[in-house]
Amino acid sequence: MDSLHAIGFYVSAAISIGGGLLVAFLPGRGARGLALGVSGVGITGLYASLSADFAGLVSLVCFAGCALLIAAPRYRTVESTAGLAWRQAGAIAAAGLFAVLAYAAFRGDFVSATYTGGEVGAAAIGRLLFAHDALTAEAMGALVVVALVGATAAWRARDRGR
Amino acid sequence: MSVGLVSALFVAVALVAVGAFVATWRKDLTAGLAGLPLMFGGAGVAFAGAARFSAAGDPKIFGQEVAAIVAVAALALVALGVGIAGRGISR
Repeated sequence: MDSLHAIGFYVSAAISIGGGLLVAFLPGRGARGLALGVSGVGITGLYASLSADFAGLVSLVCFAGCALLIAAPRYRTVESTAGLAWRQAGAIAAAGLFAVLAYAAFRGDFVSATYTGGEVGAAAIGRLLFAHDALTAEAMGALVVVALVGATAAWRARDRGR
Repeated sequence: MSVGLVSALFVAVALVAVGAFVATWRKDLTAGLAGLPLMFGGAGVAFAGAARFSAAGDPKIFGQEVAAIVAVAALALVALGVGIAGRGISR
């Protein structure tokens, strides 16, 4: 990766992380949605620096959608029952998560190995799911549909009972 | 100045941690949903970085495919969360 791409990577990283922190601290839905959009632009820049242009494009569209949803004025505010102490504990846990994962990223030993499982990609997964294991995939799909329908029916029944 | 797998993973880890922080710090749970796309974006950056710097043969598109799917999943989850939160306002 040349210097220009490296600079783009680090600038995009700063934009995405800074935007994310603004989402945590800014008051107001519009400002938070805008900060989330800025963070999405940064993540798109990260993808572009990593030669993942298509993923960056998809990510940009999805972040724009998320930003619009977060900034929308119509949704109801759901206040957390957790107090300030629990939220502070959660913030410390997030910092601990960062420390552990960063340590793993720095100290992890990435070995070189030869993968002999054949082609890896969406086409290969599609062939596996819809040709080799078609019956299993359909059974799983049916199970998920039954579970969702059952959950929806139970939800509606509980709502009527109120 | 160079970028390697460790740099990509470090940024991905930072995004995941910032997303977790947003999700826990906001008192409004619906606003906390904004942490989801950040966490999923971090996972996508890790996948794209691993694909970019892996030694396996070309084309290295699997990580990009997973990153795109993860981004769509994040949007779907935020839409689901906002939809559930908005339930009861207008029917």
